[in-house]
Formats: sequence, structure tokens, C-alpha cells
Amino acid sequence: MNPSDRLPRRRLPRASVPLSVALCTYNGERWIGQLLRSIAEQTRPPDELVIQDDGSDDETIRIIEDFTNGAPFEVRLAQNATRLGSTANFAVALERSRGQFIALSDQDDIWYPTKLERLVGELELDPTVTMVLSDADLIDEDGRRLNRRLWDSRMVARTLRRNAVVSERLLARRALTTGCTMVIRRRALAAALPFPAALKDPVAPMRHDRWISLIAAAVGTVRAVPEPLLAFRVHQSQETGVLTGAQASLSFGRAVVDATTVRLSEDDRGHLIRALQLDSAAQRADEVGDFEEAATLRSVANHLRHRSRGSDPTPRRLKAIWSEAKQGGYGWDQLGVAAAAGDAVRALRHPGRATT
Amino acid sequence: MSPLSKNRVLMVTDSLQMGGAEQVAVDLANTLDRSSYDVRFCATRGGGPLTEGLHDDVELMVLGRRATWDIPKLLEFVRFVRGNRVDIVHTHGRGTMRFVALARALGLIDVRHVFHDHFGWLHLDREASTALRVPLQRWTDFYIGVDSRLCRWAVDTAGLPPERVRLIRSGVQLDRFADAQPADLRAEFDLEPADLAVLMVANFRPQKDHPTLFRALAELSPEHQRQIRIVICGSTTADRLYYDGCVGMIERLGIGHLVRIAGPRDDVPSLIAGADAAVLSSKNETGPLVLLEYMARARPFVATDTGEIAHAVRDKGVGILVEPRDHLAMADALTDLVEMSAAEREAMGARGQAVVEELFDERVVVNQVEAVYRGVLDGGDR
Repeated sequence: MNPSDRLPRRRLPRASVPLSVALCTYNGERWIGQLLRSIAEQTRPPDELVIQDDGSDDETIRIIEDFTNGAPFEVRLAQNATRLGSTANFAVALERSRGQFIALSDQDDIWYPTKLERLVGELELDPTVTMVLSDADLIDEDGRRLNRRLWDSRMVARTLRRNAVVSERLLARRALTTGCTMVIRRRALAAALPFPAALKDPVAPMRHDRWISLIAAAVGTVRAVPEPLLAFRVHQSQETGVLTGAQASLSFGRAVVDATTVRLSEDDRGHLIRALQLDSAAQRADEVGDFEEAATLRSVANHLRHRSRGSDPTPRRLKAIWSEAKQGGYGWDQLGVAAAAGDAVRALRHPGRATT
Repeated sequence: MSPLSKNRVLMVTDSLQMGGAEQVAVDLANTLDRSSYDVRFCATRGGGPLTEGLHDDVELMVLGRRATWDIPKLLEFVRFVRGNRVDIVHTHGRGTMRFVALARALGLIDVRHVFHDHFGWLHLDREASTALRVPLQRWTDFYIGVDSRLCRWAVDTAGLPPERVRLIRSGVQLDRFADAQPADLRAEFDLEPADLAVLMVANFRPQKDHPTLFRALAELSPEHQRQIRIVICGSTTADRLYYDGCVGMIERLGIGHLVRIAGPRDDVPSLIAGADAAVLSSKNETGPLVLLEYMARARPFVATDTGEIAHAVRDKGVGILVEPRDHLAMADALTDLVEMSAAEREAMGARGQAVVEELFDERVVVNQVEAVYRGVLDGGDR
């Protein structure tokens, strides 16, 4: 764990408004006007729109300022002096948000009018719910519907439809959520901020939305609502991995090849970094008294540490893989079976050095 | 009604350990009208401290079931039901309901089955698995929910017809609390005379969310910390990981001097009577019954706003309610409690006592349950 993650965390102030939208922008002139209009047309409008611009040099700021003049809620724009990147920029935007509930927003989508009403309604219904997320319709650069949903394109639909309550174990094993579909409760945000340094590791970076979801599940309940509540724009420059049509098949094939051919040292390090990130999440859960959830996260972290021992001799690796699989460390779903199979193939392809 | 026409009721729980569902079952067994009902009690897994609370005329069988589908114990249960010519089996808890439903599904018993649902993890349970839906629909005659959310779940999700579902809020046997001799908390737990002795009755289980209370205590100003002491009564072995985590948290937050852990006790009414006020920090409840117990002894309280009872008393000024898991709000509420004068706290407690007598007297609950029994006995089809 990074030493800075051990320091006492600065406390997030209490909420002073009911609902914030945290929007991060960077050179988004092409679509941001549509997004802002769709937020203004919400049946439950936010009390504030917190915008953190990451150094745009196009018309983005001017469009925001024009919108601010007639906006039906307070718009609080701030610009970074130097470029932070998406995850760190969201950390700043979220720190500035004052809402009891905070909706995350990307700059290029179109929200359906009932998005906030529906998601905030779920949070208001049950105070133990710390985060709600929805599905989205995909649209292309010109706003045409692609007749496909976000969850399908990210290959998480089956998991999220089967698990209306998304557990910390599921989120620890896999990135299932997309920031712009999420609304979080301040309590979860207070546990998630600041983001630990381990999220930034280039070998296995963890995006802000996955980290927040993980913490929200560890300190409360995450609910998945299968309705599409926004139009999610698919374009070349976005950071969220969305696959359509043939791309999805191609990517799956590539993933299978990677799983069996990627260099062991990289793979091992990736597992170790992920384990560190999960340890950080477990520590946050412990701090607020969610001990069982913390233990679950640590067990997944330990499983990843087992998987990182690629330099062990092949027989020992295979035995360890078998033992982990039997204990359910890989999980019993397709993803788990594929991971166990991939580890076994790698163990056979890259015989480790025998230790004395 | 002559003695010969009495109906035989078998109350069934998992155990007789301290707990809301178990207490409701014991109170019902003790209070059902003896001119109409003969009552037996079966704890399918084990006994516990509540055994002492059962009236002498309630025959008790502790089955010792070790697994959900413990067939030898199921057969023993069937023999007991047949031998005692039971008319109504009244189950508390979903595992117990399925156990009895299996006996009916196999055609081993021919009784009416009333299921009393106290399930507290509603937020994780918006679906109804086949293993719940089928026994509920086919081998249960009536569903009693202690929370309106449970009743909605039973109709909307589990698919029960609304006429077979009824909300009956839990009640409390008032005399158990009115007659209790106050325990001397100050002597027993080494408290100063000026300390505000605040009792929390809650087993160490995650649902009770002790950490929110601990975090709230850590937020109090030094002056308020000096004036308050918390005594926690409840099982410390129900969930060892959770209990150890709580103990570690008390140490980490530096609030050990504010908290006394009394462990499991069978003199809860006396402890409540001996406390100046009470607290409950649960994250999710369908009752919680203990709020009624606090009110029955006229204790002012700070509690999380969860469950049917908190909902029913929300606007009656009988306690201070805060959002579950919000430790800052709970700290504010504890501060208010400390700053109230003794007369104000007494007035708050008195309002609670009046509300509980009006709305939650066990006799009110028993009347509703007996109406359900009459309905299922009169009903033809199962």
C-alpha cells in the first residue's frame, strides 16, 4: 500500500444541497450543449451542476458560460491549471460537489428526462442503498440510435440483470459500471475520496467509476436498474470501453489470445496491483465498520496474489490453480472458468524456474 | 366455547435465543386466548434464554435440527404435530417456514400453516427465489408481515394473493417492562452518578450497525463525551468477525472509556428500567421490537429511522430518529439527548409509553393474529 494511503483522510464536508451533478469536460464543444440541455430538462433537476474542466482549448467553456446564464440551477465551473486526466479530474469535481446525492456525468451523452428522478428515487427509498446505476441506449456521433444497449456492449448485461444488488465481490472481480449511469450517496463518496495512489498504476489502472462502485458496494448496497435512462454516445475519443457488433467479437478473441500469451511478469504485476487496490478498498470498508465486506475484498485480493505467482514451477502452479478453483476463488461463472483455464494454459506454456 | 373445541396452535421458531422474531413468538404463545387455543412451542434448532419466559402451560419441544433438511428431525417434528393433533402451525423465520412447508409438501402433516415473516434484509431481497416462492404459494395458508415492505414483497414479488397477506406490527407485553426492577447500571458498569447511562440492546450482528454508534460517539465534543456512557447488551458470539471488528474500532477511535459491553443478558427489562435513555443504530430493520421495549419503560431514545415501528412513531416526538448509517446525524442526536433536561427526557419517555400502550400492546397484536387463525380455520381450500 502506498504510504500516503495510510495517512488520516481529509473529511468530506456534510451535504448542503440535496442533489449535485458532477460533470468533467475536456474539449467537448461538439456535444456538450446537448448534454447541458438534457440536464436542464430533467423532471427532477439537480440543485447544482459542478463542472471541472481539464484545460479545454476549444469552445467548451464559452458554451458552458452561455448555458450558465439561463440555467435553472446553480452552475459551478472550475478549470484545472494543468491537465489531470479523467479519473483525477473526477476526484476534484466530486470533492467540490455538495449534494447528498451526486450524479456523475460525461460531456457527450444525452440524459432522458426522468434519469435523475428515477435513480434518486431508488436512493431515497432505502437509506442503505449507496449507489444506483442504470443501463443506456447507444447512439453514434450524430445522435442516431445504434439499437444496442450499453450493458450488452460492455458484456455485463447478464451479470447486472441477474444481480439487482451488485455485490462487492462481483465488482472486485470485474469492471461492471459506467460513471455516467451512476448516482451515489454522499456517505459512499466520503469513503471513496481521496482516490488511493494505486489506482494510477499504469500496469493495472482502475478508473474512478470502478473504484467508486467498489467502495459503494463495500459500505452499502449497489442497485442496478435495467432501464436505459440516457443515450450514451459512442465515438473514437471516449475513454469508456464500449464495443459494438464485430468489435465485440474481435475484442473477445483478442482477450482470449492475451490471456494465454501475455508475458507472465506483466500479468503477475497486474494481479498484484489489483490486489493492492482491493486492499485499499477493504481498508475503507473497515474504517466505517463494514468488516464482512472488507474480509470479502481481502479474500479476492489474496486470490489475485495467488494468481500472481507465475514464476513457480509448473506442477506447483497447476496445483495452486486447482486448489484456488476448488475453493471458488475464481468464481463459478464464465469469467472465472476462463480465468482459471487461462492461468493453467500460461502455467503450461511458461514453465517456471524450479526452486531449491 | 367448550374446552373440547379448543384449537391447538404450535408456535415454531429456529431457537429461543434473544431476538425480535423469537420474542414475538414467545409473547404470542403466552398471550393467545386460552379459552380458544391450546399452545405448544417448538424450537427446531436449539433453546436459549427465552425459554424462561415461556409460560408453564406452553409445552416446549427443542428439536435439535442441524441442517435445513434434517430428515430424522423432520420426522420427529411430524410425530409431534400428529401426536398433539395440532390444527395450526405458526412459523417465524423463513428457514422454519420452509421446514414446515416440506412436511406439508410430502403429505406428512395436515395442518393450517401461518407464516410470520420478520425478515430484516429487505434491501437485498427484491427477488423471491423459487425455494421461497413455491413453499409460500403452495404450502402456506397465510402470510403475516411485520413490515409493510414485507407485505408488498409477498404480494408483488412472491406472488401471494393480497387476501392471504396481512400486516401485523409487532407488539410488546407491557407488564414485563412495567413490573421490572431497575438494574443498577452505575454500580454494575462503574458509571459516575452524573453520567447519562444510555443502553443499547442489540446482538453484535452487522444488521445492528454498532460502528455507526461508535463513530458518532467519536464525533461528540469532549464536553458531551464526558456526560454520556453507553452500555451495550447482546450476544457477542453471533458473528465473531463483526464483534472483533467492533472491539478493534472502539480501540481505534479511542472511545473505550465511553462504552461498556454487557454481553448477552436475560434481564433486559431490568437493564432498560435502570437506564436513563436508550439508543439503537440498526442499518435495516423490519421491527425493531426493542424500540417498543424502550418505550414500554418510558425511556427516551435515539434510533435510526428504519422499520415499521420507527415509521409508525416518526412524528410522535417519542424519540430522536436519524437516517441509518449517518454517524454525523447520530452524533447530533446524541448531543441533543445529552443537552435535554431530565424533565424533557422524562416527558419524551412518557409520550413513548402512551404511544406504545395505545398502538403496540401485545393484546392488540394477539387479537389480529387470532383473527387470522379464525380465517384460515374457516377457509376451505388451501
